[in-house]
Amino acid sequence: MNIEQIAENALKQMKAAGFEQSQVSVGISRQDELNISLSDASLFRSTEDHGMSLKGIIDGRAASTSLTDLGEDTIAHEISGLFDRAQHSPQDDANAVSSGQTAQVVKGPQEPDLELMVEKVRELLEYRAAETPKMEIDEGNASYYDQHSLFLTSEGSSLESRTGAYGLMAMGTAREGEKSSSFAYAGGQTDDLSKAHAAAFFGIGDMLKETERQIDTRSFGGNLTGDVVLAPMAVEDLLGWLLGQLSDGQLIADSSVYKNKVGEQIASSLLTIKSRFHGPCNDGISGDGFVADDFTVVDQGKLLTLMPSLYGSRKTGIAHRPTAGGWEIVAGDTAKSDLTKGIEKGALVTRLSMGHPGPSGDFSGVIKNSFMIENGEIGPALTETMIAGNMGQMLKDIVAISAERLDDGSSQIPWMRFANVNYS
Amino acid sequence: MTSSMLAAPTGVEYSEIRQHDLRKSRMVMIDGNLVANMQNSEGGVSARVFDKGYWGFASVPTQTALSIDQVTRRAVDNVQAMSRFGEKSSLAIPLDAQIGEFGFNGKTPLSQQEKVDLVEALNALCKRKYKGLKSSTFILHDEAHNKSLKTSNGADVLNTIRRAAVYMVMTVEDDRGEPIELMEAFSGKGSLAELDLSMDVLEGKLDRLYEHLQAKRHAVPARGGLQTVVLAPELAGMLAHEAMGHPCEADLVLGGSVTGNMVGKPVASELVTMIDFAHTYKGEECMIPVYADDEGSPGEDAVLIENGIMRHFMTSRETAARLGIPSTGNARAYTFNDEPLVRMRNTAILPGKDKLEEMIAGVEEGYYLMKSGNGQADSTSEFMFGIDLAYEIKNGKLGNAIKDTTVSGTAINMLRTVDAVSDDMVWECNGYCGKKQPMIVSSGGPALRGKAHLGGE
Repeated sequence: MNIEQIAENALKQMKAAGFEQSQVSVGISRQDELNISLSDASLFRSTEDHGMSLKGIIDGRAASTSLTDLGEDTIAHEISGLFDRAQHSPQDDANAVSSGQTAQVVKGPQEPDLELMVEKVRELLEYRAAETPKMEIDEGNASYYDQHSLFLTSEGSSLESRTGAYGLMAMGTAREGEKSSSFAYAGGQTDDLSKAHAAAFFGIGDMLKETERQIDTRSFGGNLTGDVVLAPMAVEDLLGWLLGQLSDGQLIADSSVYKNKVGEQIASSLLTIKSRFHGPCNDGISGDGFVADDFTVVDQGKLLTLMPSLYGSRKTGIAHRPTAGGWEIVAGDTAKSDLTKGIEKGALVTRLSMGHPGPSGDFSGVIKNSFMIENGEIGPALTETMIAGNMGQMLKDIVAISAERLDDGSSQIPWMRFANVNYS
Repeated sequence: MTSSMLAAPTGVEYSEIRQHDLRKSRMVMIDGNLVANMQNSEGGVSARVFDKGYWGFASVPTQTALSIDQVTRRAVDNVQAMSRFGEKSSLAIPLDAQIGEFGFNGKTPLSQQEKVDLVEALNALCKRKYKGLKSSTFILHDEAHNKSLKTSNGADVLNTIRRAAVYMVMTVEDDRGEPIELMEAFSGKGSLAELDLSMDVLEGKLDRLYEHLQAKRHAVPARGGLQTVVLAPELAGMLAHEAMGHPCEADLVLGGSVTGNMVGKPVASELVTMIDFAHTYKGEECMIPVYADDEGSPGEDAVLIENGIMRHFMTSRETAARLGIPSTGNARAYTFNDEPLVRMRNTAILPGKDKLEEMIAGVEEGYYLMKSGNGQADSTSEFMFGIDLAYEIKNGKLGNAIKDTTVSGTAINMLRTVDAVSDDMVWECNGYCGKKQPMIVSSGGPALRGKAHLGGE
């Protein structure tokens, strides 16, 4: 399939239909996935996918569509319908497409190695049987995914990427008699699946071992305000909330608490957050068709930038900041094993089960796959324990950041300790 | 392509071939700005085969005779490739097979102009009527699935499932100038044209949302810890889905869900009966009717809890075989390139005989929990719901609104404390259930009174 020809033809057809500005994205992808079910190899799944996204603007009126059938008749029909929908949309001068952007990205393995994937599934199953026999891998897989995509606009942007990556994932519960743990999972993507044992990727082996220790649990016992240590998965909830406050939805609605805080100290000086748009599994191209250069979001606690898209920027007057996938929190200088030191009573939290905190940042969540900390030592697993606080305040209450980070192929996140969290 | 071109792969123990088209539309207006005006169309063909204890699956996004041949060969190749993992004992999977066409004939869907007019009218209403409103968002969403399926054991079905949802979000500032927001969501079977979108009805919903926001501006923190709570019907439906529904999915049972050893044992108050309905409740078609699942099994109701006693699980062909119980027709796939997994359909706690007002009046000190942003649950039945709207109950009367909090507990423990179940029933089908793939489901319930943990001070 010639995606250049398909994309260029679609762009021409959109111009002929009457659009003043047009945007076309075409991608073909394939995935091979060796699945584990109930700690046994179960399914080999192969998928091939085609996708096209079209956005057209006429007189400031915009509409978009996506489709998987790339036949000429279907595309022509969709463009006709798109033009009709755009004409019946409200006028908005903020609508625009990217201009003058060019890139050609080739990253990662371009062909799958089935035998390597088989080897990793075997390693994972053998590791479970030998090292963590109480753990049941309910669901897991070794996978390969590649995509060839092309993004064109009527304003001269042309962004092409060919990316490939392997994935490894395990999810399950530990059981002993009639008792079972909460479910737990770990996984990520890599451009080199051969570089390590399956259990060494993405903390999968640690997850399996820790989940076995979560069969027997105890309650936290009483209410308390104190310190908490968040593992990378829980830290990502905090990071996601902050990045959301800096992006279109909250900026356009004028409900971001950080809208007027650029240049100000919004967090502990221990915190530095950077983009990682060009990491091993990231192509560095933004969703709105720009080459996303890496930048620092928060530098030693100081907010350096907001991150509106092209539309959000034109809507709010805030400088456009193209963003793609992948972030990192800069490692601290405290060993992970030392983060708990000095905590009389608290918790090491791997996963937070909670809603999506609103702009105020207030949250409360059930802590999952988590352990009691008593007198600086990690103790038994916890059940039916909640923590509550405020996301914005937590950024200010960082006590320490670990030197170690978990790399899931997209982001690099450390373990972090915070003060003044409410336990109940 | 017509379904007559479909033929399940041969030469294996069991096989299926599915043609699946999915169309979605989404329109989002924030403060008068149409930030999303999107249609999505995806479709293709998949084949899945079972042989010698393994599964093979393949899909392509084209729907031609050539692509059917291609996925059939690839699925068979894939199951043969699984022999690398050694010999495996096979499985006698149940082979019930549904035949029929199960469509939906509704009103003509709303046009683009009608949708734009609607969100613009709602935006204008908000600007005109609600003082101090900082922001408003309106989202119109609908999606339609058309699936043709044939299996090697004779199933031959055409399924159409269609649902629509409207989301209205209002934001104001509280006493400290901090933004607070609330969302009203309503949904139903069919396209947006099937919902009552008259301005009178919508204005009434917005009036109530605004009143709650005004109350929330002065919200007080909840008291953390075990509390007496009255769950509004919307939350009871979520409890049914998240906290007890997922642990009763047979694949999770096989994986060690806490319910696995509890069949025939009490897991809830005898006031509680919970069923995953396949397609019909009290003679009315459910919001997500599944007459045949994506393995071609007939959709059967799964009675999960009957008068407090754990009864059955929701199954696919394979999980039914592994547990030695009947197939209930719960194997569902979200798109053409997804394999069927055990998923819920229309999961509900059945109504009781109590009146909601009397249930609140009977609480000396507790909380009335009304709206939830989302919920999650565990194989242990431990659950968590984010609570966006709730009020104190003091001496049987509603008091202050409380700040956003979380309600949690172990569903089995919580359901055992239920001492009242209201006589009303609310169904909804907005949002998605997540489990490797998204899925559209409905949930329903009456109000429940019991004890659960609240996050707070």
